[in-house]
Amino acid sequence: MPVTIDIHTHPDFFEAVNSDLDQLEYHRQALGLYHATIAPLQHVFNQMNCAGIDRLVLLPLDLTTIDGRPVVSNEEMVKITALAPERFIGFASVDPHRPDAVEALEHAFADLHLAGLKLHPSRQKFYPTDSELTPIYECCLRFNKPILFHAGISLEPDTNSKYARPEGFEEVAIRYPGLRFCLAHFGWPWVTETAALLLKYPNIYTDTGLLYFDSAREFYDHVFKTELGEHWIDRSLRHQVMFGSNNPRFEQIRMIDALRHIGWRESTLELVLGMNALEFLG
Amino acid sequence: MFKMEKVVILTDQYNQMVLLTDQLRKVVADSGVQNGLAAVITLHTTTGIGVNERVECLESDIDEALKRLVPEDLPYAHARILPTYGSTAGNPTGHIKSMLTGNNCLFPVAEGRLVMGDAQDVYLYEFDGPAKRTVTITVMGD
Repeated sequence: MPVTIDIHTHPDFFEAVNSDLDQLEYHRQALGLYHATIAPLQHVFNQMNCAGIDRLVLLPLDLTTIDGRPVVSNEEMVKITALAPERFIGFASVDPHRPDAVEALEHAFADLHLAGLKLHPSRQKFYPTDSELTPIYECCLRFNKPILFHAGISLEPDTNSKYARPEGFEEVAIRYPGLRFCLAHFGWPWVTETAALLLKYPNIYTDTGLLYFDSAREFYDHVFKTELGEHWIDRSLRHQVMFGSNNPRFEQIRMIDALRHIGWRESTLELVLGMNALEFLG
Repeated sequence: MFKMEKVVILTDQYNQMVLLTDQLRKVVADSGVQNGLAAVITLHTTTGIGVNERVECLESDIDEALKRLVPEDLPYAHARILPTYGSTAGNPTGHIKSMLTGNNCLFPVAEGRLVMGDAQDVYLYEFDGPAKRTVTITVMGD
């Protein structure tokens, strides 16, 4: 049975990082998930089992120069992944505006053994081509770690999508052909732009964490069969699209069910649901 | 006399029936109420409380009947981002099934014991799981 991986989940409401109501409220406001409740570990496992997901990639976010704190820190990621190392894959995050950003990232990779880097240009307020990102990209190359960028519009507060248009990442792909990076959410609403980049640059990946309108089946049908050509993913982009739910904002169980019924070849589905994530993670 | 207990349940399926009869009997027994009423009420809008016979075939028939009445793939208005939540509301079927089943049940308590028919059991119906659910069991009387 091929492995099934959700490449895009947020641990912000896990019990392990919400020891008091202040933390919970900060997480709610920071993510704009105003009614989210604390998730016991068993509940996370129940959701995974119900959706048929083997492993979650968990994404923190460092907002040191924006909010004066991370939403979930790299040290907390170590604590969370230790709860279920066979099921959780922890990423790091650094605020690129931190003077010690590179040192923090080296520490996250070398000492904390985190599996990749999450960056959110819209929330952390940088363009992918800003010069302060250069040493961060080089650090990822040095450690052979992938980057998952938020791309497209963000529903989080205090975000501007001008930083995260898919076209803004092309220069990074040109400069660093060996750097694997993911434009999350298929860069929605600029999904055609994302598809064009995937076609040209094999080091760019994307994920399926988009459910901005309608039910999962309706929205995926619209995006993957109307906005994009019905066969584009199944024929041309099948090695670069990864299942990601953006849980808890969207709906992990219904989204993966919708993908299982979308009509791609079984081999494409296996790639999207897990095999591509393994390649991406390295 | 008034006694209320909260029962917290982690459901593990999308649609699921969870028996509550034993918890109800225990709360009634511990309450000290001799004559009165016992109520089971769910605090959620995508769950239900039901009273029915605990047999596999009926559980299956009830589940299938609700699925026929409320199919998953209709164009529901509730399938959208809710700005006040910041997340998708993809659970219209759960809300409609909850409306059909109701959020509570009530039983008499006489001489300190729950008065139930032989075929009756109490269920929490999960319609949008897995989730963390809270059900109140309240006993009122003398």
